[in-house]
Amino acid sequence: MSRYLGDAWALPYLDPQIRPFFSSGVIRIQVCRSCDAPQHPPDDVCHACQGTEFSHRDSAGLGTVHSFIIVHHPVHPALTERVPYAVALITLDDMPQIRVCGNIVDAAPEAVSIGQPVRATFEEIHDAETGEDLTIPQWETLTG
Amino acid sequence: MQRRSVVVGVGESSYYKRGTAQETEFQLACIAIRNAVEDAGLDLSEIDGFVSHMESRNDPMRLSRALGVETLDFAAQPWGGGGNGVAAGIMLADAAVSGGLAKCVVAFRALAQGQFGRFGQARMANRLYGAANYSALYGLLSPAHICAMQTRRFMHDHHISQEALADIALACYANAQLNPRALRCGKPLSREQYHASRWIVEPFHLFDCCPENDGAAAIVITTPERAKDLRKKPVPILAAAQGLDAGDGFGAFNERNFPTAFYRNVGKRIWERSGVRPADVDVAQFYENFTGPVLIAMSEMGFAPPDGIEEFVSNGALEGPDARLPFNTSGGNLGEAYIHGFELINEAVRQVRGESTCQVENVELSLAVAGPGFSPGSAVLFCRD
Ligand SMILES: [Zn+2]
Repeated sequence: MSRYLGDAWALPYLDPQIRPFFSSGVIRIQVCRSCDAPQHPPDDVCHACQGTEFSHRDSAGLGTVHSFIIVHHPVHPALTERVPYAVALITLDDMPQIRVCGNIVDAAPEAVSIGQPVRATFEEIHDAETGEDLTIPQWETLTG
Repeated sequence: MQRRSVVVGVGESSYYKRGTAQETEFQLACIAIRNAVEDAGLDLSEIDGFVSHMESRNDPMRLSRALGVETLDFAAQPWGGGGNGVAAGIMLADAAVSGGLAKCVVAFRALAQGQFGRFGQARMANRLYGAANYSALYGLLSPAHICAMQTRRFMHDHHISQEALADIALACYANAQLNPRALRCGKPLSREQYHASRWIVEPFHLFDCCPENDGAAAIVITTPERAKDLRKKPVPILAAAQGLDAGDGFGAFNERNFPTAFYRNVGKRIWERSGVRPADVDVAQFYENFTGPVLIAMSEMGFAPPDGIEEFVSNGALEGPDARLPFNTSGGNLGEAYIHGFELINEAVRQVRGESTCQVENVELSLAVAGPGFSPGSAVLFCRD
């Protein structure tokens, strides 16, 4: 599967805290074991109760574009051929306090708008260097 | 009103287009500091403290030796990497002097990005670590990208048009035309040129983004007693603040108040500590890394509600010495030079002294607000003695 920013673009290093979000095939958010509060990006301590043990909660993967940018000037040489591209900030419908970044993979940058309903999709990548199978969360438009 | 410490000297090196300084970064730092100390009429040996922000190369140990400092009594930097710390550095100097830990503290910043590389350039390998995964993996890489994401939502929430961003840029460029030190002096900007310029990252055109430059700037802060027989009239620090509002300390756009410029608490503290109101301010310098976050910072500092900020900045309301709110009177990061915001501190002091090239009449209160969009924010309010 080809990636939105090109197959040569950087890949994540999956430490235990980061792995669930990028390898579970769902939008998997860190949740505190003590108070059940979700938080993103994950942290070592719960921001609500200072708990230090965590599980996860899976979102149904429906969201809304909260903000977005359209990048025209490539700040990295690997993106020179890729601009312009959009990066969106998505609010999860079932965890409205959580915002995640992503690309809207089925829309031209100029077609992205605030309030647009979106659905999660995943870029499936085998990372040959680490042996990890990744599912990178991305988003596609939902027509109302 | 408790007046704790005073600025007695202001100085800078020459400012250069990025990568063209003849001097090394450390030489630029020493030149700016010497100029500020000379402006004060002090001897270099009397300096006993250094503060900066996001400085990693021009350290106080090396400076003490090079400048012939007699004894070093205080050396510190604020947390938080970026232009958001420029006023927090002044706050630390103020705290040290008013707390009796040091007598003559230099606050400074030096940049030679030709020598040491740029901020705006993405520094990443083909492997991402930690929090960068959640943004850089999607091509959100630079400070411009972060501030654009904040600005877009702020514009949406408060029905702000592109013209408000243009107003910020145009004011900086107009004021730079009066300042021979400004790198954009002689290069005026029209609204048409602004709109015709290429997009860097929507909603930012080229002219919404500050350049990167080489240079150094410094001020000297001392006690009111020591200031008495010095060359220039002292400029008291009436209030300084650094901080965050609840829930805003964790990034990646999950701050409770997103989109925030991180100035809610800073504004509250500045007015609380000074006993004055935004409407009392005679002249204000706002760090413009990009134009959009200035609108957020200005409203969070209390100058106008977010829904009224476009009207507040429009129709030339910020341009020139007679503006409703004279703003970035030296040209700021956009028009004068990007010395990581320190040029704004020097200009705020010069306005109280009556030495600006865009001098506002009868300045009693002169505000400098540090970088927006990165936490924690900071600000400093100078006043007439
Ligand atoms: Zn908890």
